[in-house]
Amino acid sequence: MVEENKAHLTVFDGKKPFDPNFTRIRTVQNIKHILFPSRDIVARFPNDRDLRPKIQVIFGLKACDIRGIEVYDRVFLNNDPIDPFYKIRRENTLLIAADCPEPEPSCFCNIVGVKPFAEKIADIALAVVAKGFILEPLTPKGTAWVEEISSFLENTGPAQVNEREESRGRALKTLAKINEQALAPDLSQRVEKAGSQAIRQARDECVECFGCLHCCPTCYCFLLNDYGRGKEMERVRIWDACYYSAYARVGGGANPRGKFDKRFWNRFQCKFNYFLQYEKFYACSGCGRCGRGCSAKIDIRKILSQA
Amino acid sequence: MNPYYPIPIRIKKIIPETATIKTFILDGMPIKFDAGQFAELTVPGGGEAPFTPSGSPYADKMEFTIMKVGRVTEALFARKEGDLVGVRGPFGKAYPLHEYKGKDIFIVGGGVGFAPLRSLFLSLVHNIGDYKKIYVRYGARTPQDIVYKYLIPEWRKIDKVDILMTVDVGDPTWTGRVGVVTTILDVIPVDVKVAPTIVCGPPLMMKFTTQRLAQAGFAERNIYLSMEKNMVCGIGKCNHCRAGKYYCCKDGPVLTWDIVKDIEDPFL
Repeated sequence: MVEENKAHLTVFDGKKPFDPNFTRIRTVQNIKHILFPSRDIVARFPNDRDLRPKIQVIFGLKACDIRGIEVYDRVFLNNDPIDPFYKIRRENTLLIAADCPEPEPSCFCNIVGVKPFAEKIADIALAVVAKGFILEPLTPKGTAWVEEISSFLENTGPAQVNEREESRGRALKTLAKINEQALAPDLSQRVEKAGSQAIRQARDECVECFGCLHCCPTCYCFLLNDYGRGKEMERVRIWDACYYSAYARVGGGANPRGKFDKRFWNRFQCKFNYFLQYEKFYACSGCGRCGRGCSAKIDIRKILSQA
Repeated sequence: MNPYYPIPIRIKKIIPETATIKTFILDGMPIKFDAGQFAELTVPGGGEAPFTPSGSPYADKMEFTIMKVGRVTEALFARKEGDLVGVRGPFGKAYPLHEYKGKDIFIVGGGVGFAPLRSLFLSLVHNIGDYKKIYVRYGARTPQDIVYKYLIPEWRKIDKVDILMTVDVGDPTWTGRVGVVTTILDVIPVDVKVAPTIVCGPPLMMKFTTQRLAQAGFAERNIYLSMEKNMVCGIGKCNHCRAGKYYCCKDGPVLTWDIVKDIEDPFL
């Protein structure tokens, strides 16, 4: 749904007219809660119960949100032990990514290694062309789904493929204009070695609202909280953020990141150094939500270019 | 398998160790672990926190020696024998005991930090023929703060075990050494070139002990340090226990000094 020229996430309910619009950039809302709810019951005690998954389709998500899912896949599926809650939702969710034809000034996917269209992870890549959509399956799940609806589909002709490629080329050019400067090739080392003076300067305007982390599609930190339910107990997984002062504090009171400067920089270490070391790509999607959601209008690009 | 689900088990016995430390013996061994690994202990209604077992991995009952310091431990201290708790794990890496074979082992503990070391000590004693000699150096604040007072005399009788203790501040009943734990590290009667040394204690004790051991000539990769971090999930996902690029829950909770020395303020 598009309102005030911005795309919004809506839940399809069958009663309202279905009027998707794929021309805008990623939705204002984060989509991560669909696979990783902000509040998720992960265990019951003493008797546990299984999660019954819903079958769901995320329709029209952009490549930046796909990068978020790629990060989650690495954390929750590719590293033992597998997270059963993420796994079951992921398996029961079809991802239909839409090309991003008109990147905006807040976008910077191109400098973190993301293109404005999906080439992997998503099950299907959708592109709007003059006479409808092009659906390109990217996974076996996507292929099966496209085959299932094949009676409604026509073969794509070369002219339409050309139209899509031209649109993609224009989007890439727009991004190259928005973000002329690439990230430093040794960014991870610069982040690792940043001095206290540079960190102080980077966080100077931060008002500690932590909106950047809660709207980030690659942030995955969580807490486990237990709640009594009569004689039983529910263990609830809730989103956490490394900017909270008690985040790393231990029972005895020691806190390795007691000072906000250290917590502020942990976000950069996590996304642009540690994650890169393990997974070989940045845990950043370039979606720009952190900047748009920031109370102080801090642009992460400025911090990265000065690191 | 749900990695967030704690296995329910009852508390069999509670032994008061000091004014703020108790040993909780559970009614069985809900998970199999090796010395060095930790578990998440759930107090229903009180929350969950990470602890390293203090008993032998070869025993039939799991034990934790715990100091009352925060929310979860306060809830735990209100529990009685027969009450239900939950255990998840084991998490993290065990001490590489196969690498210790044929060598002297130098263990240094401070305060309640002796709890996880007891699990290691009992593992070593279980196969004592594999090792040259086990040295234990233990410091507590006062004689009242010493844990396992009722066990130490028995351990002293074990062949190839050498135990030295000290307290920061003595009292009229105390006839032993007085001074911080580094004062009993002046003499290190092991071959520091090959021997492993294992340290666990409060942050300041860890800092100065590590300095002393490194200065004494122990190889950096032979100095094993227990990292106290806020392990929430235990499975390398939630990110709370990060120390530099390492997850204390997966790469630790025991890390060696060659790794720890590059982490900013490692003992905070």
